Amino acid sequence: MLRWLGTVVIALLFALNLLLPLTPIGRRGTEAALRSDLPDAVVATGEPLPDFTLEDLDGAKVRLADFRGHPALITFERSVDW
Amino acid sequence: MRAYKWLCGTFGGLQLVAGFVLFASFFRFHAPGSEVAEIPTGPIGFYFVAFAGCALIGWGGALLAVARQPASGRAIGTTTSLALVLMAVYRMLGWLMGDYYVFAGELLRFEAGLFLALAAAFLWLRPNASGEFV
Repeated sequence: MLRWLGTVVIALLFALNLLLPLTPIGRRGTEAALRSDLPDAVVATGEPLPDFTLEDLDGAKVRLADFRGHPALITFERSVDW
Repeated sequence: MRAYKWLCGTFGGLQLVAGFVLFASFFRFHAPGSEVAEIPTGPIGFYFVAFAGCALIGWGGALLAVARQPASGRAIGTTTSLALVLMAVYRMLGWLMGDYYVFAGELLRFEAGLFLALAAAFLWLRPNASGEFV
């Protein structure tokens, strides 16, 4: 019984593993295709970003508009270093 | 019986070697002036790497014991099969998340498929409840 049950589970997972690239979340498209999947990502390359405010490491508010006229690099990364 | 013996012996032996390598990497990492470039992690990561190494040594040793007496090794076949399925599941999830895909690519899905095939082999080659082989 366990043998057959286990075989069914394994077979289903095996099929899922093969089909992963065909699933919507597993489809790794071009940058343009990825951007088109995000409903709020309306800014095209070369256009100015809408203004937003974030907190820096000291908790102070930083507005994107404060950097207008200066080069600004925005990165998103995890801070945990294991 | 011969196939189960071969499977347990080969897989157990590989686990034992991998376990010792992972365990030793903890000491390599902490040796003054050395670095373990092939495992890109820090002190906390190596703590868990060493833990995984110790677990692999125990798991591999148990499989090698089964290779010597295959008829008594039904339970280790079942639990090894379950562990391999779990290893395949988190690799598939890792592929989907993208974080691991960046450095491991399609290797994740390949390993998941390999582990699922091994899980099926352990499940079918293990002896039945009366110690006989199918």
